[in-house]
Parts: sequence; C-alpha cells; structure tokens
Amino acid sequence: MDITGSMKEKIDEIRAQAVSAFEKASTSKELYDMKVQFLGKQGSFSALMKEMGKLPPEERPVFGKLVNEAKQVLEDLYGRREEALKEQELQARLASETLDMTLPAFAEPMGAKHPVSIVIEEISGILARLGYSVRLGPLIEKDSFNFEGLNIPKDHPARDMQDTFYIDDEHVLRTHTSPIQVHVLFNEKPPIRVAGVGPVFRCDSDVSHSPNFHQIEGFCVDRQVSMADLKGTISFFVREFFGPGLKTRFRPSFFPFTEPSAEMDCQCPICRGKGCRMCKDTGWVEIGGCGLVHPNVLKFANVPYPEWQAFAFGFGIERMAIIKYGIDDIRLFNENDVRFLRQFSL
Amino acid sequence: MKISLKWLNDYIDLHDYMAKPQELAALLTAAGIEVEGVQNLAKQYENVVIGHILQKGKHPNADRLTVCQVSTGDGVVHQIVCGARNHNEGDRVVVALPGAVLPGDFAIKRSQIRGVDSGGMLCSEAELGLKEDSDGILILPPDAPVGQSFAKYMGLDDILFELKVTPNRADCLSHFGLAREIGALTGREVKFPALKLEESGGSTRSVVKIELRAKDLCPRYAGRGVKGVKIGPSPAWLKTRLEAVGLNSINNVVDVTNFVMMELGQPLHAFDQRELRGGKVVIDRANKGETFVTLQGTELKLDGTELTIRDGERPVALAGIIGGKNSGVQDDTTDIFIESAYFTPAAVRRTARKFGIETDSGYRFARGTNPEAVRLALDRAAQLIQEVAGGQIMGEPHDEYPNPIVREPIEIRLSTLESRLGYPVTAEDFAKWMKRLDCKVEPIAGSEPAWRVHPPLFRWDLTLDVDLVEEFARLHGYDHIPERIPTFAEMPAEHEQSFVLEAKTRRLLQGEGCLQAINYAFISRSFQERVLGDLERVRTTGLKTTAEPVAIVNPLNEEINVMRTSLVPGLLKNVVHNSRHGNSFGRIYELGFGHFRSVSADKKAEYVEESRLAFAFWGAPEDLWRKNAPAVPVVFSLKGAVENWLRGMGIQKFRWQQLNVKTAPEFLHPGQAAVLEFEGKPVGFIGTLHPTLAAELKIREETAVGEFNMDLLMNGQPRSPKYKPISRMPAVDRDIALQMPKSLPAAEVEAEIKKAAGELLREVRVFDVFEGGSLPPDQRSVAFRMVFQAKDTTLEDQKVNELRDKVVKAVTEKFGITVR
Repeated sequence: MDITGSMKEKIDEIRAQAVSAFEKASTSKELYDMKVQFLGKQGSFSALMKEMGKLPPEERPVFGKLVNEAKQVLEDLYGRREEALKEQELQARLASETLDMTLPAFAEPMGAKHPVSIVIEEISGILARLGYSVRLGPLIEKDSFNFEGLNIPKDHPARDMQDTFYIDDEHVLRTHTSPIQVHVLFNEKPPIRVAGVGPVFRCDSDVSHSPNFHQIEGFCVDRQVSMADLKGTISFFVREFFGPGLKTRFRPSFFPFTEPSAEMDCQCPICRGKGCRMCKDTGWVEIGGCGLVHPNVLKFANVPYPEWQAFAFGFGIERMAIIKYGIDDIRLFNENDVRFLRQFSL
Repeated sequence: MKISLKWLNDYIDLHDYMAKPQELAALLTAAGIEVEGVQNLAKQYENVVIGHILQKGKHPNADRLTVCQVSTGDGVVHQIVCGARNHNEGDRVVVALPGAVLPGDFAIKRSQIRGVDSGGMLCSEAELGLKEDSDGILILPPDAPVGQSFAKYMGLDDILFELKVTPNRADCLSHFGLAREIGALTGREVKFPALKLEESGGSTRSVVKIELRAKDLCPRYAGRGVKGVKIGPSPAWLKTRLEAVGLNSINNVVDVTNFVMMELGQPLHAFDQRELRGGKVVIDRANKGETFVTLQGTELKLDGTELTIRDGERPVALAGIIGGKNSGVQDDTTDIFIESAYFTPAAVRRTARKFGIETDSGYRFARGTNPEAVRLALDRAAQLIQEVAGGQIMGEPHDEYPNPIVREPIEIRLSTLESRLGYPVTAEDFAKWMKRLDCKVEPIAGSEPAWRVHPPLFRWDLTLDVDLVEEFARLHGYDHIPERIPTFAEMPAEHEQSFVLEAKTRRLLQGEGCLQAINYAFISRSFQERVLGDLERVRTTGLKTTAEPVAIVNPLNEEINVMRTSLVPGLLKNVVHNSRHGNSFGRIYELGFGHFRSVSADKKAEYVEESRLAFAFWGAPEDLWRKNAPAVPVVFSLKGAVENWLRGMGIQKFRWQQLNVKTAPEFLHPGQAAVLEFEGKPVGFIGTLHPTLAAELKIREETAVGEFNMDLLMNGQPRSPKYKPISRMPAVDRDIALQMPKSLPAAEVEAEIKKAAGELLREVRVFDVFEGGSLPPDQRSVAFRMVFQAKDTTLEDQKVNELRDKVVKAVTEKFGITVR
C-alpha cells in the first residue's frame, strides 16, 4: 500500500465518521459540536492536514485536493442538516409556545361617561350645528328668575305644575332650565341661539319621577320666529338624535312661558310607529315641551316685543336616555352601579 | 279630574261617542285637553242582568243549597244553584251569567255543583263590589225590569274620562264647561237645562243681611235661603253621579252643592241658617289672631289677610276653601242659606296654600271661576235642593256685584296670526273658530284683516293676541303647522367655558378607566357631617366648607335635606351600594358643586357654587395577567388618574404635599393622604379612606377618595400644549440608591436632584423603594434613575459621571443621607 492510498483511506474513514456524526446529531447544538470536532481548527481534518508534510511533495496536491473535497462534502452536509434541525427546532419552539388565545385579554378597564352626559353632549352637538351654544346657570335660583320672569307670578296656579324645593323666601332649587333663558335675555344681545343645560329639581319622587333630573332647552331669539320654525328645528333634532325617517308631532299644551305651547311627540324609535311597550302601543313617544316664548318673558328682561320674538323647546335628558337606550328603571341613573355605568363606554 | 260621558249628554248630544269613547278622547287630546284614561264602568258588569226567580227547589244532594229557575226575560230560563237563604220565589235578583267577570277577577262559568248543573250565580252586594260584605244575595225592588243589564239599572252604563286639565283651562273643570269645549270643537249645540224656580218661602233678605266689605277679594256674592228642608240621604241618581266622578255622598243638601260644582264649575256652600248669628253674613278679612275651626275639625290661627265669611260674631267659612264646623248643615238642619260667589283666585290660592288645605272648591276658585255663572249656580242649587230635600225656596236672593268685571277686547291682525304660525290662514276661518269659542268678533276696518275679539269672561286665559293665535291653532289643528328650518345670519356664540372643560374632563377620565357618577345635588345632613368630620381640616385642603350647609325648607325626606358641601359623601354611598352588590372593583368620579350661603352687598342671602371634581376608587381589577404583580395601593391608581387628567388639561406644574395625623381630613388614612398644590394654593386632596369609616360603612375593599376645586384648577384655561423640541442625541442613564429616613418624602429628594443636575437632566424618577432587610426600621432605600441628554451633543461618560457625583454630593449633604 502506498502512502497516498493509506492517507486516502484515512480521509475516507474520518469522512465516514463525520457523516455518521452529522446524521446522528439531533440538535443544532450537537451538530455544531460535531462540526467543530471534525472541521474546526483543532478538528480531525486539521490534524490530518498536519500530516501532509510527511508526504512526498508531488503527492501533496493530490492529498490536499482529497481533503478539501471531503471537507466540502461535509460542509454541504452540515448546511443541510443545520437547516433541517433549525427548522425542526423552530417548529418545536413554536408548538411549545402556543397560547390559548381565548384567554382574557390584558387591558386597563374602560371608562365611561354617564348616559346623562352622553345625551347632553349629543344633543348640544346637534344643536350646535344649528348655531346654538351651551349656557349653564345656577342650581339655586332666585324665585323671580325661576317663576316671575317666566310669566308665573306668585299665587298663580301654574306654580302647582312644578313641585318646588324652597331654599328661603326668595330662592328655590330651579325647577326647570328655563331660568337660563332669563339670564341670557339679560346678559346677551339678540339675535340669540342658546341651549340651557343642567340639573333641575322637583319635590316629587316615585317610580317614574326623580327629585333631581336633567333638562336641555333650546332658545332662539330673532326678528321673526314661528311655530313652523320651531317644528322644523325639532324635526331636524329628532332625526339627528333618534335616526332618520321618524316623524314629529305637536299637541296643544300649556306652559306659562310659551304661547302657543305644544307637547312634542316623535314616532317611537323602538318600533318606528308600529306600537310597542315603550310607546304603550301608541306609536308615539312624548319627548318634551315647546312653544313661542310668551311676550311677558321678553318684557321682564326688557327685550322689546314684537321687535324681537323667540321660541323655546326643552327635553328631559333622562327621558331621552330611557327612550334611546331602553333604560327601564330611573333609580339606575343615581345609584351609580358600575355594572350599569360600564355599559356606556361609547 | 273625572268626567262622566253620560253626564255630558245632559248638555250636548254625544250618544254616538258612547260606543267609541276613544275617538272623543283623541279629539280632546288633540285640542289640548289631555285625556289620560278612559274607563268603561259597564265593563265590570258585562253579562250581569236582572233576573226573576220563577221557582226555588231543594238541592238533591245538599241541604244548604237551593236550585232555582231564574228568568232573564224573553222566555230565557236559567237553572242556578244558590247557597243563600234570603231569596224566595218571585224575587227580582241580580244574575251573573257565564262570561261575567265580577270585581276581584271572579269569572263566572257554567258548572256542576254537587251533581246539579248551574248556569250562573245569584249575586250579593259584596260579590258585585258594592259593599265590603253582605248578608245573603241582593234582592231588588219588585219593579226592577227583568232582563235589563245591571249596569244600566244602576246607572253604571257610563264611560269615565280621566282629564288632565292644564291650569289655564279652569273653564273645563266641570261637565257643562267641558260640554261647551266639545261644542266648540264639534259645532254641536250645547244647552243648559231650563230652571223652574218656585219662590214660596218668603224673602231671603228679611232673614239674612249681607255686608260685602272686602270687595277686592270678593267681587260678587250671592245667596238664597231654602227653608223647611229635610236632611237625608240623596236619591240614587244623585249618588250615582257623584260617585262616578269620585265624590262621596254626604247628605242631600251637600250633595246638591257638589253636584252643581261638578256641573257648572261654581263651588257653593250651604250654611245652617240658624247658626248665622245676628242674621247676617259679612264678607271680610279675618281679624288678626282669631281662630277658625274647619268642618273637619282643624283649628286654624288667622293672621288677618285671609278672606272669611262671617256672621255677626265670628268667621263661619274660609272663603272659597272650606266651611266652618260652627255653621255647616247638620242632620237636624231645616233652614239653609246657600252661598254662591266669585272670589279672586290669588286670594284663595294664597290662603289654601298657607294652611295646606286642598279642596275641590279651593282648586276651582284658585284657577278662576266664572263670575257670570254665580247666579245660575245658586238658582240651580236651590231648585235641586227643593227636589231632593223638600222645603221652600226663598225669594229676594242677595246678589252683590257692585263693580261688574269688564275685560278689554283683544286686537289681532291676520298677519300676526300668520307670522306666528308660519302658514297662511283665511280671515273666515279665524272668525269662525273664534265664534265657536263664544267670542264676540268685531272686524277692524283697515288695509289688512284685523279684529277686536271679546272672549267670554270664563276664559281668563285669553288676554293677548298670542293667546288667540294658540286658540286658533289648536282648534284648526296643530297638524297644519308646516316644518321649516329657520336661517341664522349671526355668528354662533361660544359654549360656556365650564361646559367645554367638563366635557374634556369626561373624555380624559374615560381614558383613565373612570366611570362618571351622578348623584343628587342634595344629601343627608347627618351623613355629610359624619363623613367630613373636622371641617377645618377639609378647608385647609383648598375646598370651601361650612357647618351650616344650605338646607332645603321642604325636603322630601331626611336623606336629602341639605345641599352638598362635598361630593365625597355621595360617592361613598355609591361605593357602599356597589360593594354590597358584589362590585368589588370600581373607579368612579363626579363633576358637581358644593353649595354655600353668602351675603350680598345689600345684606340679602345669596348662594354660591364651587365647582368640584371628586373620585372614589376601590378594589383592584381581577386580572389573570397581573396576578403575580405586586398590589398597587389604590390611592396611587387614583393619583395616576388625577395626574393624567391634570396633564390632559395642560397643567404641568403641580405638587403633592404629604398630610399627616394632625392635618389629614378625618375621613382619610392619616398616613396615606396628600394635598394637591397648584399655583401656590391647595386645590384638593387624595387619600385612602380611613379604615374606621370604611368599617362603619361596611366597605370591605381598599378605597381611595379625592376631591378638587375645579374653579381654582380651571384658572387660565383653556391651556393648549406648547411644543418643546426633542433631542436626537443619545441619552445616558445613571442610577443612585439612597438610604434615607422613611419620613423624608421622595419628592423633596427628587427636587434636589433636579436642582443639582442642571439642564442636562432630562428626567428623574423613583424606580425602586426597599424597606426592611438589613435596613434600620425607620430607614428605607429609594433608588432614582436619572436620564441625561444634551440637545446637540453626545454626552461623554466622564461628564455624566461628574454630574452624578455632583447630585450625590448635593443630596447627601443636604439631607444627611447616604448612598447604598
């Protein structure tokens, strides 16, 4: 056996060992260790190359070529094996990292506005499109602003329409948002479009009445205003707030501060007029009161009539929320039960 | 008010509506007289008829039962088993046939009783709902018409309307008044029955003299005697009428006065003439300090402003409101004096309200009766009293009406009508409807149609042209009003700022996971006092407070008797409610007011509102992903929400000042409370609820509350964000851990770090706090992370280390603390 032959056998032997080791490696780490063992700087082939000096010079290139061929084969094998093992390992990792995606999310609890605020913001937003801006006003109101300025003199039976909480002889808890009109008439110059908003109080409490609820009231002062203007405004509001296609109806009524006066009905937004529990099978729901402002109201605030005329319309906020959201118990508005409030994270 | 349709038929023919009362109800409602309910009285007696017992036999299987053959007319005979004992062959009885549903939802069915067929029931008064209990079945008089419906026989074949009459329509508070309104709406004829008065009892004036002194409060006073009456029960027709509209029958004379009130809307009063001392009736104000005892026995102390009806010596009635115990009709009364008057509404209302006496009479006078119906009502009553109680009507009645009331006509132009309604109207239409209302209409000559309209006196509500606009519109129909969007040439004004800021606050806090609560503006005085404790401690947190909250004169109950001075007590009630209902986690806030009394320049009471924002946070969210994380003290969640809100409002500069056992409001944990300072002033607080109060309220969850003075915090709003350039240079961190006394607030050290580090320090924050271990018990370790960054250069390590050393030197020297 010549020297080259025995070296070739040695190369083949190491190569066979390496192939077997690479094939057997079950992880990329193991595979890499084998690569270092056979192909590394201190590895089997490096050791073999060191023996090249023992060969006659003319055989050296042949030997070198053989070694390089073997190394190349092993490098290729390593590459394929590494890719396969890495893929296998990735799949295993992915499989092990599987999460139950139906578990609860991680989230901060959601906040919510009170439905009364949602309705107030929505209505004032709709009215703002028609040029109305919001006004507030004190909760403890002068008797004269709550009543006399609104054409409800002392000892007038219309006072019985609103059960009043008294603070002293001259002050009451406002029974409606209408005194805001009086403040506005004194403080601002016509033409005026404002929406008075806020809590109001009635000395009255049962399953459908709360002693402390909320109203919003539109008030428009201009050179000439009519019942038709009022009805058009309210129709616009109804469609914006409750949805398109709903009709509006006026019924004659009485409020001391308007003449003519009307109750406003809109087609029931729940059944769209077919009849349901909300509308007590009438197809209509009452949404509020309105009318042309009584000349005495303008005169009280020294606004000349008929040079200036006005109309006003008001809604009960809770009533609107009841109709819109189907709330069926007025106690919910003030218990502040988080199970109720959380439903309004709109 | 209840109205009987049958009764209305006395004045206007509405028979066609008896079968379709809903149509009449709709007509009235559309005209502004709201019908809230329609009740068919006959319905409860459907299939209940008058029967005639033809034969009464023994029940074969039961000794106590009888088997009757009962005719209900037209040859129809029913076999009915009956358990009563008071009936005999030939009796007229009330038969409930199968299909009837008697009061108490008692349905009558064909059945077998002890093996014998029974086709109905013979009824007792109790079973018919006429009496509480009764002995045996009801035996009717022998002339009761066999086969007639029981409802008709009893006059109960009626339909009742429940009317909601608005305060302006006093004229509709009676049957004749409503008939007149229906007449106007339908054009049907309205007639009042003709009076037939036989004056045979001598002169009224010779027995009773009248002195009308308070002419301002009583413009008209009429009276008439009836002598020799016999007081007794009213006849059935009268009882039925009154009971139908909800009045109790008292005696024949009083019933007539009530009947006429319900008929004409004119309240009347009957005096026992023998009790009118001195034979006179004086209409005058009360004497100051005298007492008056009402019919019901209530003793009233009069102050001299009340209008009274008096005899020669004493008050005998509170005019228009209630009669006196001393002069009413008794069982043995024989001679009566009937009063019919017009009292001014304001006077009656004032007195009735002052004494809290609500009567049908006072209700009508306070709304305005018809002065022109005074005499008609008086004579109608006299005639009816004679009919039901006998006696002789006395002539020469009094009728003092020294200054007949005259009202100015109303001038109205067609153009006014059209411009207010917003649609064209014809002159003929307007005149037609005004005449329907009994108005006299005079055209005014001129270039456009115009009228002088004289409304009838009973329409007190018609005084201005706009009143006629409404009358026309409601009669013509509100459905004629078209829809138009008014144009607005002006620039819209701004929203009131606090509304905008509150809306923004709601938006920001929604982002913080907070739920908005709304409580009543009033609360229980004692609960508020209990929660707030020492008010001085509340005041020093920057919130106005008072030991004398604004009280409500007439609270609904003691739970809501004063205006709030703080929003915290209300929110705590909410926490209690939630905790009790198993809601063990929540974050709520409220925007509201504290109310306070102050004194104006002219020494009058004034009220001021302080705008507030308050919070209550309790418990922790149950969270799968956070279950191994350390629990965050609830008050720090609250602190985070408050700070984020402040920054959202553009407020960057604020400071928390630790409270302690001497300064913390008493409802807070003294070691877990802080005041917020803004622009150098305290503006509110946060803190953990004091464990004693939490236990007392049965709140199990750890709870934190806070309240802020929005008026102070919203100073300078709106604040918009100001952009500050951001550096693109690398940032370098340095951490220092300081061992320091627990009593030294971290914020003070932090402030010193900022001062020492200078402008290259971008931020500093506490990233670790450690207590225990090898540290002495009064010490803790606080670790700060400082982030350094220059605007335009990369910081060298050496420079940063110098800065760190400078910081360490500064804080260790200043506070005498050490680096760990």
